[in-house]
Amino acid sequence: MAAHDMTRYALKTRSSMEHLFILITMGDLLGVPILPPYYSLRLLPYVVPQIATWKRRMLREKDLTDALF
Amino acid sequence: MNSVLALGLAVVAALVGYYIYARYVDEKIVKVDPKKATPAKMYMDGVDFMPTGRHVLFGYQFKSIAALGPVTGPIAAMQWGWLPGLLWIVFGTLLIGWVQDYVSAIVGLRNDGQSFGALAYRLISPRGRLTLLSFIYFYLILIVAAFSDMTAAMMAKLPSVPLAIIGLMAVGILAGWMIYKKKVDIMVTTVIMVVLALFSIWLGSVLAIPASKLVWVLFTLLFSYLGAVLPIWSYTQPINYISFYLVALGMLGAVLGILVGHPSFTTPSFTTYTIGVGPMWPILFVTIACGAISGWHSLVSSSGTARQLESEADAKYVAGGSMYLEMILATIALIIAGAAFANFDAYKTALKAGPATVFSVGMAKFFGFIGIPEAFGTAFAGAMFCILAITVMQLVVRFARIATAELVGDAVPAFRNQHVGAVVTLAIVFGLVYTNTWSYIWTLFGGSNQLMASLALLMATIWLASQKKSHAFTLWPALFMFITTIFALGLTARNLILNVGKLQAGTLKPATGQSIGLAMGGNIVAAAIGIFLMVAALILIYDGLKMYFKIRGETRAPKAPVAQATPGDD
Repeated sequence: MAAHDMTRYALKTRSSMEHLFILITMGDLLGVPILPPYYSLRLLPYVVPQIATWKRRMLREKDLTDALF
Repeated sequence: MNSVLALGLAVVAALVGYYIYARYVDEKIVKVDPKKATPAKMYMDGVDFMPTGRHVLFGYQFKSIAALGPVTGPIAAMQWGWLPGLLWIVFGTLLIGWVQDYVSAIVGLRNDGQSFGALAYRLISPRGRLTLLSFIYFYLILIVAAFSDMTAAMMAKLPSVPLAIIGLMAVGILAGWMIYKKKVDIMVTTVIMVVLALFSIWLGSVLAIPASKLVWVLFTLLFSYLGAVLPIWSYTQPINYISFYLVALGMLGAVLGILVGHPSFTTPSFTTYTIGVGPMWPILFVTIACGAISGWHSLVSSSGTARQLESEADAKYVAGGSMYLEMILATIALIIAGAAFANFDAYKTALKAGPATVFSVGMAKFFGFIGIPEAFGTAFAGAMFCILAITVMQLVVRFARIATAELVGDAVPAFRNQHVGAVVTLAIVFGLVYTNTWSYIWTLFGGSNQLMASLALLMATIWLASQKKSHAFTLWPALFMFITTIFALGLTARNLILNVGKLQAGTLKPATGQSIGLAMGGNIVAAAIGIFLMVAALILIYDGLKMYFKIRGETRAPKAPVAQATPGDD
């Protein structure tokens, strides 16, 4: 109960880093041409399990109050 | 009246409210469906949207909503006597407080976990989002100002407290380092750090650090600054984590103290209708904010909890239940103010140094009933009070620096820098605290907090109306809170402007060490913030009610007759 906040923040930090990495490498999936396709294709198998979650997070409407919690 | 009886009445009221009214609203009006997929399940990303057990979420919700509001408000409201405060705490929670927390969670649940900005855009009007966000920005600044002012006043008055807080800072940093860098088991870390925190509180009780209020204001702001700019795992989170155990121990000690000592109220049940800051209506209803109803809770419920609920059926327990528990906390604070002092004059003398002093001295007496030495009890209660403040202050300043970058970062690129954003926010806070009295800052904070609550209730009303559900249980509380708080803010702004005139004429003296120009500037800024909040709220209410009547018109309009097919038609 007391550690829920800490767990959540730790996960949030990791997910932000991972999602930023996917944005840099797989931005093409959202229409942002960033890397030459060769590197994206090499990384793609490792990223596949997270693509759905990543897209949802990137495209979700965000708000300032999200920063509170 | 005996304090145990007051606590018992609050507990009975909470049980009745939860098991009868809350159940009725939950099952008959909102009609929660435990089988319906919640946003946490639909959009699970393991972070924001994450199905979490109801008991864990209850703790999360309570920890997030229980800050200084339920403690300070009832202590300050004792100036009217214990009865008005007790009635507002009980009936405010029963009829308005839990409703707001609960419906905010439900609106979030049924709208894909959208936060209030997005909901205001969709439910109220396009300009509603920006108005709401700018409203929230100043509202949060007032939270930091009110909390900083009171903690600093208490640390200056009770020099046994500062070392405890400095110790807690060190313990928190050490805990973060042990958990994240050294991978020490969390239970081992917790036990060691809680013991160390208690040791630092004891050390504070024997090693006082006397300093002026100004020094401690700067200290609390530095504390918040570090919380805003350092990585969250290294500072804010571990401090908040260890603090949880200290607050839980404190609450347990207070309840045991009341039960063992069972003192009677030494203050009158009712004193007078009008006190220094204003008349009972509307000022009492904004003085006791979080203990009866609070807009902060709606932010927690919608943006935080609604995205983690496993089932719709958990909303009543998590959001409603934790508000009822907070009502008990507010009642304990009321009892501390009303029963711990020899008489009403002793309470008023302690209040002159701020509500924090009343809390610390009063709670130490209650700890004394269970054998805890007074010096340690005072330092512990003081530390607990500070903890309730700083855990929220850190988060708010962190939020404010992000908000500053978002709102003005495009126009002024310097504001994108996190240090600039945090320092600007803290500079506004410092200006408010340095040039004002706590009672006005608290009333402004309470007013903005209750206005936020009425806006949350209005949004819930519009949503319920759009779903063709009964919405009287949110509409009337929204209107009551709106009218009350607009009057309270108006009155406070008027008093602040009058103070400027009095300072100019020389009939009012500025605080010690403050020039007249500075005091006048502070009053003008505080009045301007109050007026801005009123205008923003009026715009939102105007747009909100327009939307509400539009929806009502649509839902009541007779349906167009359906063309009847006649035999022979193809």
